[in-house]
Amino acid sequence: MDVVRLRESFAHVAMHGDELPLFFYSDLFIKHPEVRELFPVSMAAQRGHLVDALVKIVSQVDRVDELTAFLQGLGRDHRKFAAVAEHYDAVGASLLATLEHFSGPDWTPELAADWTSAYELVASVMTTAARADEQLRPPWWRGTVVAYERRAFDVSVLSVRPEPQMDYLPGQSVAIESPSRPKLWRYYSMANAPRRDGLLEFHIRLIDGGAVSMALTSPAIADTDLRLGPPVGALTLSQPVSGRDLLLVAGSTGLAPLKAILDQVTALPQPPGVDLFFGARTADGLYDLDSLEKMAAQYPWLTITPAVSADSQFAGETGSLPDVVARRGDWSARDAYLAGPTEMVQEAVARLASAGLAQDQIHIEDFGWSEP
Amino acid sequence: MSRLGRRGYEEEPVHGFLRVVHAEFVRLVNERASLWQEVQRLRRRIIAGEAGGDPRAVLFGKEDAHVHAVRILSTAQVTADRYVADAQAYSSRVTEEARLRRDDIMREARQHSDMLLEDAHAKAREAAVSALNVTAPPQTARERQAAQAELAYLRTYSDVYRAHLRAYTEGVLRGIDEWERKEAASVQDAAQGNANRRSIGY
Repeated sequence: MDVVRLRESFAHVAMHGDELPLFFYSDLFIKHPEVRELFPVSMAAQRGHLVDALVKIVSQVDRVDELTAFLQGLGRDHRKFAAVAEHYDAVGASLLATLEHFSGPDWTPELAADWTSAYELVASVMTTAARADEQLRPPWWRGTVVAYERRAFDVSVLSVRPEPQMDYLPGQSVAIESPSRPKLWRYYSMANAPRRDGLLEFHIRLIDGGAVSMALTSPAIADTDLRLGPPVGALTLSQPVSGRDLLLVAGSTGLAPLKAILDQVTALPQPPGVDLFFGARTADGLYDLDSLEKMAAQYPWLTITPAVSADSQFAGETGSLPDVVARRGDWSARDAYLAGPTEMVQEAVARLASAGLAQDQIHIEDFGWSEP
Repeated sequence: MSRLGRRGYEEEPVHGFLRVVHAEFVRLVNERASLWQEVQRLRRRIIAGEAGGDPRAVLFGKEDAHVHAVRILSTAQVTADRYVADAQAYSSRVTEEARLRRDDIMREARQHSDMLLEDAHAKAREAAVSALNVTAPPQTARERQAAQAELAYLRTYSDVYRAHLRAYTEGVLRGIDEWERKEAASVQDAAQGNANRRSIGY
């Protein structure tokens, strides 16, 4: 495989912009109409994902270790979309046809061979990882919504029973698909540590125009069956326990993963000291404050500080959450866990880093919570 | 003009211009590619004609038919994507307006209740001050009776205020509930409408 030739070829076809993935999917759906039902009605985001994946693959094709880890994750992730081995052949054929179409006179047998080997490598790593994953867990879980509670104007709390029971680490998330929004998956964190009854609690914030969040915050979601992808994410309590006290910074429904971690801490024989900052725009947005204050009354090692950013009349702390956290103490000896709107998290991370926290003391998830 | 304290160009308009240039570039690249394909197709047709074959067969050759089908499906998909994007943008606007309107209603309600409370406090202060200013404790049964009457009056007054406040707050909450119900119904109607539309062939 000639990596330089492959990259030049991709740079050339990529100039066609959205036409490239558009041609690819149309070619695939004409040749294999049965594949269409694996995708949502709107393909705009999907086309972006395809191009992003191709860019990553082509740029890392000579760094096998990094690329392998990415592709294994992609292969496992595609199980929940019901992708099976036969689809990989169909996708490969359409990818080749697309590249040939856009390469025009530059398409040669050598180039076709380069792309064929590259795709075979990709498909083999993905299908091997998917097959290994089949031995460990189902492609997705059925999740029955057993309780729905509207906690604030735009926040609902769902209690979901997964079938079969799900093992996960507190702080992890799952992709959720609602029956009224087929093929649209969005990540949400469990807000509790695994329980004996197996129930999962999710905090859902209504995003303006968010197709999935709108369905999940509607009362009609009660008693429906959701689909849950496998648990993912690295925002989990560091093991072995560092011995440092904890600082938890939660903006809005970013509280969910941190509450799961807090839930886990309550079960430790010697819980560390925990300061939890819970921020929202207005007091209404502090949708879980009652439950947190009850916990603080029960556990002397826990301090809760609510803060609002857009209501100067609020009786507690006011201002942006990173400001409030910064002025409430010296956190340099803590392990910090942060979740919430991406901008807030970035700002708080920068402030904590400049206040002396080392990189391994700061824990965040690498995807935003603001995805609609 | 660049922002104060920064050298160089103002980023946003320049990036906007670059986006326009990029879109135009992609359009031209695609136009060139489809022209090249058209030339190839016509060339095949001529060759077939010269070789004594049927040039019309080349016009509807299997390969060309597939590319045509891909183009038709692509156009249909892009149209569907636009419908979804428009619907999403509309839904986003409606939710945002609802949020702002709800904030306004809550703010007004809070101001109104603050005003009522302030008024009640003022009245109560006046009552307390006038009670302090009474020079001597009530001596006679008649004076005691008068004081009890005033106390009863103040109690009633406070009860009435409380009732007003409650009625007002409940009214506002009912208004919000009613409005939310209507919104939910209109969303359902819209969904129903979409389903009906599909069945009547829109």
